[in-house]
Amino acid sequence: MIRRSAWQRLGLGLAVAALLAFAAFPLLWMGLTALKPSSEIFAWPPRLLPEAPTLSNIGRLFEQTHFVTYFRNSVIVSSAAVVLTLLLAVPGAYGLTRYRFFGREMIAATVLFTYMFAPIMIIIPFYIVMRTLGLANTHMALVLAYCAFSLPFALWMLRTFFQSIPIDLEEAAMTDGASRFRAVIHVVIPMALPGIIATGILTFILAWNDYIFARILISSDNLKTLPVGIADLYNASVIDWGMIMASGLLVIIPVVIVFSYVQKFLVAGWGSGGVKG
Amino acid sequence: MQTRGLPGLLLVLPALLLLTTLTLYPVGYGFWLSLHAKHSLFPQQTFVGLDNYLYLLNDPEFWESLRIGLIYSVSTILLQLVLGVAAALLLHQGFFGRNIVRGLVLFPYMIPTVVAVILWKWMLNNQFGLINFGLVSLGISSGPINWFGRSYIMISLILVSVWQFFPFVLLAVLARLQSIPTELYDAARVDGAGPVNRFLFVTLPQLASVLFIIILLRSIWMFTKFDTVWLMTQGGGAERYIRTMPVYAYLRTFNYYEAGMGAAVAIVMFLMLVVAAATYFFLFRQEDQL
Repeated sequence: MIRRSAWQRLGLGLAVAALLAFAAFPLLWMGLTALKPSSEIFAWPPRLLPEAPTLSNIGRLFEQTHFVTYFRNSVIVSSAAVVLTLLLAVPGAYGLTRYRFFGREMIAATVLFTYMFAPIMIIIPFYIVMRTLGLANTHMALVLAYCAFSLPFALWMLRTFFQSIPIDLEEAAMTDGASRFRAVIHVVIPMALPGIIATGILTFILAWNDYIFARILISSDNLKTLPVGIADLYNASVIDWGMIMASGLLVIIPVVIVFSYVQKFLVAGWGSGGVKG
Repeated sequence: MQTRGLPGLLLVLPALLLLTTLTLYPVGYGFWLSLHAKHSLFPQQTFVGLDNYLYLLNDPEFWESLRIGLIYSVSTILLQLVLGVAAALLLHQGFFGRNIVRGLVLFPYMIPTVVAVILWKWMLNNQFGLINFGLVSLGISSGPINWFGRSYIMISLILVSVWQFFPFVLLAVLARLQSIPTELYDAARVDGAGPVNRFLFVTLPQLASVLFIIILLRSIWMFTKFDTVWLMTQGGGAERYIRTMPVYAYLRTFNYYEAGMGAAVAIVMFLMLVVAAATYFFLFRQEDQL
């Protein structure tokens, strides 16, 4: 480590503080606002910390809005999207890694190509396709959309993980009499578990955060997911800032929890373009 | 041992089938739709050939959306790059609490867009926002600024977008920085290179390949960014001044109910991206990349 002078240390400290103020302070401010009574929210000059912290904003959110329904819908849809994506991507990535067949590289390239599609380029025809299939305004449509959007990065990320697992291990298990299926279940999957967990969590975050698909595919209030529900709360007549900030705070809590857990896997996934947006 | 044959294809098939029906097919269908006049809600449609595209050629709103979209994407991409690279260099230094800081600055990228937008709408609120309070108390501005009025809404949108997406650049660059061999820096020091020269002649060339991919991905995603822009247009009367191409495609389809025209806007956007990406590859791709 190179020794720094006092001035260099001061400069470094100030730069880090400025970066934190820009990146993290707005989130902190949202959390603090959510805990203030409205007299303090609109106080001028504003104060940093709530003098009389209150949970009344969260209470109003639960009592006067359908927040709990939106939350439940988001949990259902995001979890289903994770399960479906992994069910398709784990065997798919294994097939793309361990088998050689005609067109394999072309399939891999096509998958990468679909990764470039933005939702807005697909949403209009996607919406019409879902209407034709009778799936418009169902959670199934959302699950399919999120799965389709996660699959490209899921396949690429898991493929990188499978490639890093020495094939000798499977061969050894199979020489010992295990079937290929058992070798995969007992040898390959446990070794690829960090990759599978990271893929699942990134899929979850993608589904949890999505606005556009839920906005267009869902019209019933009782089927809405959180991002659309919150946007509608914001657009409804007089803005209740305390309640809106409380909803923002509650929505990011699951993201914060899973993200803290996945952070160590994330840099590996980043290399293969694990996150999109 | 890589086994030959069919089982591999069978394993990929379900994923491939879903991707084909839900992404490739819609893109093809979107192209077909752009050649038709079709109401967004009713099944009837009439083939009109290239009429939708010809209409767009003479449509001032379309050209305006292109202009606004370019201002938005170019400025946000440049700012994300500068800020992301600078922050990555900073967080590559050793200091107390570095891992916590690294975790915290990534949050803006991980939270739902709707949260990013509402929290900045609160920060930038005309009457009670913290930003206006700061600007007025510090004497930078004589009165509160209307951040969502016509003169400032683009700046507000750029601010929110850069805040939300610079962590992507930061993390990708940081991952690459960690893999640069320290011997390169030692050698440069022996040759008498100062910090600026070490950055220009050691760090930057090593970052070239990752920057190549970051710029490509971020350009695609910013040019087609819908949710951040759309949510910023909600409320306030200056929606027109941030109507980028994705928003225009959406409005055509879901407000004017012209699905064919909306699809045509999306296809034009797609074709522009393909041409831009091809040019970019042709100009900047180096042998060792991808």
